[in-house]
Amino acid sequence: MTVERGTAAERGTAVGRRNRRPVSPWRVVVRIFLWAMALGWLVPLLLPLYASLRPYAETAAEGYFSLPKTLNFDYYVQAWQGGNLPRHFLNTLLVAVPAVLLTLFFASFVAFLISRRRLPGGRLLLILFTAGNLLPQQVVLTPLYLMYTKLPLPWWMSWPSELVYDSYWGIIAIHVAFQTGFCVFVLSNYMDTIPRELIEAATVDGAGVWRQYWRVVLPLVRPALGALGTLEFAWIYNDFLWAVVLMSTGDKLPVTSALNNLRSVYFTDYNLLAAGSILVALPTLIVFFVLQRQFVAGLTLGANKG
Amino acid sequence: MANVQPGRTVPPVPSGPTPSPLSRRRLLGGAAYAAGALALPVGLAGCEKPTEGGSGGGTVTFGSNYSDEVPKKAIAEVLANSGLDVKINTVDHNTFQENITRYLQATPDDVFTWFSGFRMQYFAAQGLATDISDIWQTIGGDFSAAMKQASTGTDGKQYFVPFYYYPWALFYRKSLFQEKGYQVPTTWDDLKALAGKMKSDGLIPIAMADKDGWPAMGTFDYVNMRTNGYDFHVSLMAGKESWEDSRVKQVFTLWRELLPYCQPGANGRTWQEAAQSLGQKQTGMYLLGMFVGQQFQGEVAADLDFFPFPQIAEAHGQDAVEAPIDGFMISSKVKNVDGAKELLRYLASAKAQNAYLKSDPNNVATHNGADTSGYSALQKKAVELVGGAKQISQFLDRDTRPDFASTVMIPSLQSFLNAPDDVDGLCRRIESQKKTIFAS
Repeated sequence: MTVERGTAAERGTAVGRRNRRPVSPWRVVVRIFLWAMALGWLVPLLLPLYASLRPYAETAAEGYFSLPKTLNFDYYVQAWQGGNLPRHFLNTLLVAVPAVLLTLFFASFVAFLISRRRLPGGRLLLILFTAGNLLPQQVVLTPLYLMYTKLPLPWWMSWPSELVYDSYWGIIAIHVAFQTGFCVFVLSNYMDTIPRELIEAATVDGAGVWRQYWRVVLPLVRPALGALGTLEFAWIYNDFLWAVVLMSTGDKLPVTSALNNLRSVYFTDYNLLAAGSILVALPTLIVFFVLQRQFVAGLTLGANKG
Repeated sequence: MANVQPGRTVPPVPSGPTPSPLSRRRLLGGAAYAAGALALPVGLAGCEKPTEGGSGGGTVTFGSNYSDEVPKKAIAEVLANSGLDVKINTVDHNTFQENITRYLQATPDDVFTWFSGFRMQYFAAQGLATDISDIWQTIGGDFSAAMKQASTGTDGKQYFVPFYYYPWALFYRKSLFQEKGYQVPTTWDDLKALAGKMKSDGLIPIAMADKDGWPAMGTFDYVNMRTNGYDFHVSLMAGKESWEDSRVKQVFTLWRELLPYCQPGANGRTWQEAAQSLGQKQTGMYLLGMFVGQQFQGEVAADLDFFPFPQIAEAHGQDAVEAPIDGFMISSKVKNVDGAKELLRYLASAKAQNAYLKSDPNNVATHNGADTSGYSALQKKAVELVGGAKQISQFLDRDTRPDFASTVMIPSLQSFLNAPDDVDGLCRRIESQKKTIFAS
């Protein structure tokens, strides 16, 4: 997609240069401005990448902008092992995968009801769900912490705390609770675009409510589910707050908090931290580049509802 | 919905007799996903057997902030030799510290790593720690009076077992001092004279860094203790004295005298960078904790030495030493009290401390009988320095409320380094914020 856009733009300017008018000073200014902005965005990303390939002693002595003497992947190995990253990546998956699936599952229920079933007060419900998105999550931090420390779970669900606190159940629940609102909003708008006749036909053919939902509507909203799934995964993956506040076992923390393992008590090796950050950011970057179409679709879904 | 037009062709609904293979696979897949998703956390939680739940003699849980690679390994080895079944829960140092209140109120481990001084007393006073005075009756003789004092809560009971400490002092390179014929200063005037000489020799006399906010606290502590004494410092830290007191203003005024000799732009420099400048002989002296040694290897490390902060007021001499102590406490929600106390008795032994400090050349054991034969010259000097101290302070952020240290003192000291002229305004701002914080 980027490639296409790039060539199209180049072609545009080439045509412009040849056929229309000579390069105007204004165009040069715009060009310089755009390049400067692009560099401004890229430098903070490229600099850690560069730093992560160089040993600390070298950058400490010569500065981060110096030419490299040594370039290697040692820090990546060190971050992967020292930060115990595989373990924490697994932890993140244990939270993110169930949370995304449950969120989509529940949200599609609510959206189906609101959009297809003429529920009394359905619109109000939708407004309520959407408004919930505006609530800053931090507001419920302390009440939630107190609640979680008082809610028991059997040991086989949460060990050693035997509470919702320090268990994945609690983290998954809070993610589902906070993300469902947005997903309901998007999905119900999307479902509104499905022709009513489809469901009416299904009703005529004797399909019950469940069948209408599962067999008719759900297959049709698959693009929306895919887009939302991508987006939600990235969001939940990036969460730092909940896990740190609602967990006390170090080995259970997700990968975003594992970066702290790479900082020493008094000393922070920023080059190592840069390598770790890149490793941790990599999955989201991969998801973004591979599923870019869905990602963009997810962000604009529901914006153009019929 | 009921008024469907009869003549209209309705798109086929995938239902009833001819279910499309896709939807069946979808259903099965969905079910498998859901089952997997719910089972996974169970599996992970259930993989550790909860057998010896809370009875004595069983597992002792150990909440550790020894998250750096070397200390993590060292403490694991020490605990493995304790003869107890210890389960370690390591949380990285920063998160551990930020979460400590929530951690202690929820499901803390039996024994946890913590700091002595006000920070220990704060949680002991809130009832979040277990009284271990009985342990101190047996181990008391192994520690100096200053150590015991640093382990005692405001109610006079002990809550803490000290493990190791590290002193703060002015570090310098021996070869540089020899080369230029510098003498170690013992008074404030000597220090300023030496700094002046270094400046004329083209050196930056005193390395300074405060990007992380805490390193400059050390200078404040020392100037205050040398000028006004340890007792005033402690009660100032406890919120009992006014920051608008002329004695506090005097501290900042004295510190200001030193600033022309300090590395400029301290707020943008990390202590590592400042330490590097000391190693490269660009700067002459650096006031920091002994962990500064982590920055140096080989020849430079062997060349490193320190001297205690010079005397300012004769009445207080060089009495007080800043030497933060790390150690262990038992949480109030302890499940295995007997095991936890047995573990603390073991950690208070010279054997455990010797074993741990083998890995760590930048700290010193707290036990009187600890084996010092393996110590580096710097460690031996540190033992001497702290042994001769009349009082031991714990560093500003450990001697006062954590919220006061981080939300008031860090920005205040940084603004002082930026604009050192407005001492009155600075003290007024600190005092008004202090009142709010200590009232809560």
